[in-house]
Amino acid sequence: MGTLHIRNSQKPPYVKIITKSLAIILIAAAIAGLAFSVYSFLSPLIVKLDANQSQTWIANGAGGLLAAVFFGWVARGIWNYKHWAKTILVIGLIIFILTYFVMIIFAISSSIFAGEAVVPFGSILRVVGVGLFYFLQIAIIPAGLIFALIKIDPYYDESTRQREFVENAIRYVLLGTALSCIIIVLLIFLFTMTEAWQSVEAIGLDTMLLGTVWRPGSIIGTDTAQFGLLPMILGTILSTLGAVVIGVPLSLGTAILLAEVAPRAVRETVRPVVELLAGIPSVVYGLFGMVVLAPLIRNFDVPRNTGFGLLNASIVLAIMIIPTVTNIAEDAIRAVPREYKDGSLALGGTHWQTIVKVILPAARSGILAAVILGIGRALGETMAMIMVIGNSIAIPRPLTDNPLTLFLNTARTLTGNIAVEINYAAGAHRSALFFTGVLLFVMIMVVNSTARFFMRSKKES
Amino acid sequence: MAVEVESIIAQAKTRSSLKRQKISQTFGFILVWFCGLIAVAAVFWIIGYVLSQGLRVIDLEFLTTRPAGGVSGEGGMSTTIVTTLYLVILTIAIATPLGVGAAIYLVEYARDASRESKVVAFLVRAAQMGVEILAGVPSIIFGLFGFALFVLYLKFGFSLLSASLSGAALVLPTIIRTSEEALLTVPRAYREGSLSLGATKWYTIFNVVLPNAMPGIVTGIVLSVGRIIAETAIFWVTLGGSYHLPKTVMNSGRSMALHVYMLASETRAFDKAMGTASILIIIIILLNLSINILSRRLTARMNGKK
Repeated sequence: MGTLHIRNSQKPPYVKIITKSLAIILIAAAIAGLAFSVYSFLSPLIVKLDANQSQTWIANGAGGLLAAVFFGWVARGIWNYKHWAKTILVIGLIIFILTYFVMIIFAISSSIFAGEAVVPFGSILRVVGVGLFYFLQIAIIPAGLIFALIKIDPYYDESTRQREFVENAIRYVLLGTALSCIIIVLLIFLFTMTEAWQSVEAIGLDTMLLGTVWRPGSIIGTDTAQFGLLPMILGTILSTLGAVVIGVPLSLGTAILLAEVAPRAVRETVRPVVELLAGIPSVVYGLFGMVVLAPLIRNFDVPRNTGFGLLNASIVLAIMIIPTVTNIAEDAIRAVPREYKDGSLALGGTHWQTIVKVILPAARSGILAAVILGIGRALGETMAMIMVIGNSIAIPRPLTDNPLTLFLNTARTLTGNIAVEINYAAGAHRSALFFTGVLLFVMIMVVNSTARFFMRSKKES
Repeated sequence: MAVEVESIIAQAKTRSSLKRQKISQTFGFILVWFCGLIAVAAVFWIIGYVLSQGLRVIDLEFLTTRPAGGVSGEGGMSTTIVTTLYLVILTIAIATPLGVGAAIYLVEYARDASRESKVVAFLVRAAQMGVEILAGVPSIIFGLFGFALFVLYLKFGFSLLSASLSGAALVLPTIIRTSEEALLTVPRAYREGSLSLGATKWYTIFNVVLPNAMPGIVTGIVLSVGRIIAETAIFWVTLGGSYHLPKTVMNSGRSMALHVYMLASETRAFDKAMGTASILIIIIILLNLSINILSRRLTARMNGKK
């Protein structure tokens, strides 16, 4: 680090002035913290404290002392032109500015939007202007400091040891962030399992999985609560089945169209449109099902047909899984080597024969993965389901002798079971809802790992 | 003679089978086009219906007054817009550092580090598995998790903080995956050039790799913004649903999507629900457009550099 030493002796005066004055300000802050700490520690001797004050003096004193040590440490680093001290200072200043900015935003929007009447445009402008003015007033000093510190950066020392320390520290912090996902997964397991355990222990696994009556609490007449999940399991399976029957052929057709048949211009316009389906909020689908599909389904002349139920849910779900299935199936079709297609065409096969007999079989595992991922999406859908499926807690049965009218009956999905009741549930009821979540989680895990298995086998072949 | 007849029959056979093939091809193509047409029609039906019903309701008063609450469904949607904005900002502020950091580790450090030590190799595999699992978890499970951990166990209550922490768990895999892809597209030569000039690894990542991967990372963030705006199940069980404007992060609130749900299920104000839904759809369309533009620019730049 020879160059750094040469630089040390050639510091221009403004660098020295900024550095030393910064260090002096920091030392002043450290002294203030120390004084506060001493005052807090001595306060029990000077004045008589009442009960709830007697605890805080220790915390205040310790806090003051910590702040004093921290500021003193950074001040010493700055005084000696240490790079790390500068970095800490810049980070602290940025955090300060951001916090202040967030506070200003909160203040501005609560004064504009909290009222019930329309706020005149002029006063909105005034509030925003005043808020920004306050922000600039406070933020200008730290911002200037950051700017100055970045400008004088080359004159600050960075020793090899420190550089290595920073590199290692960053590596470990990044490793920590990389582990965040698995930590969240473990936390999900831990919390849902522990919450669910109570009901499993009290009621029994088989009674919950195979029980046909869901009756939380004693409201309905009998004094014992019953937590059988079979109706919801059936509801989930039936609605997903309906979605697969309607949605998968549509999606596969669209995937073939996009990958093989359609000219480029059509492809480039259809694909973003289909992808848009993935972004539309599920409540919008639910609303659509309630307002548009339900009256249409009500046209079927069957007794007790409300329009809400499995058919409505299946149609909504089918539309929701189209983007997932189409996207992955299209990728799988595209991944088929060109030679397969060329070979088939050269042998005299038509384009359609090639698609059906060569390309689709070759893309088999990818297409299967697409369908399974679509099922996974359908299993996990919540809000749209509780809006259109009717949420009845009985096992869905056909409305008339015709078994197909089963799909006109109402039902409830596992996801819906959680969402409908969790906000007011307590005790064993809440625990049973968490068990519903565990069950759903296990189902989705099985489905998704099957899909991953097929994806992997596609890559290997 | 016999041979001739046979060849004629054979010719006729091939001709008819050719014809059959042609017909089946036409039929197949029609079927496929029909599927595509239905998919596109579904999009336009939903969006068209919601927009045509919703845009009628929207005016300045609807946008700037708060919901009246209760079962009447009266009032506007001002507080839900602001709450959604808060949620997006908070969630992204929590998820982006974690997600981008994780992506950097998995792309830039993981291979060397796991060669050096068995423990780290195990951790890296666990981390990758975590991303895969988390990407498939349905949102209601995130909601349950947030409800158990943040609302009940940590006693944050129904609040912006609980909601955005749970929401961050939802978008984390999205951000990690898109950032990983973006980092992988940065050519090796850039890294080698910087390292050979004496820069440290972190300096190289921060000043050379990250700026080049920025469009991809931003795409991931925009995607996550879309998911947060569209998300309802998580916020239904962690955000509460108060129609007042949250004054701090510990207050309950109501996002736009949640507002649609509550209007549709608890009141009969379907027109107001449609109005709110059409604002949501417009935002989603704009976000999708910006993602398309971003990714197009990204591919254009990639091709230009090659």
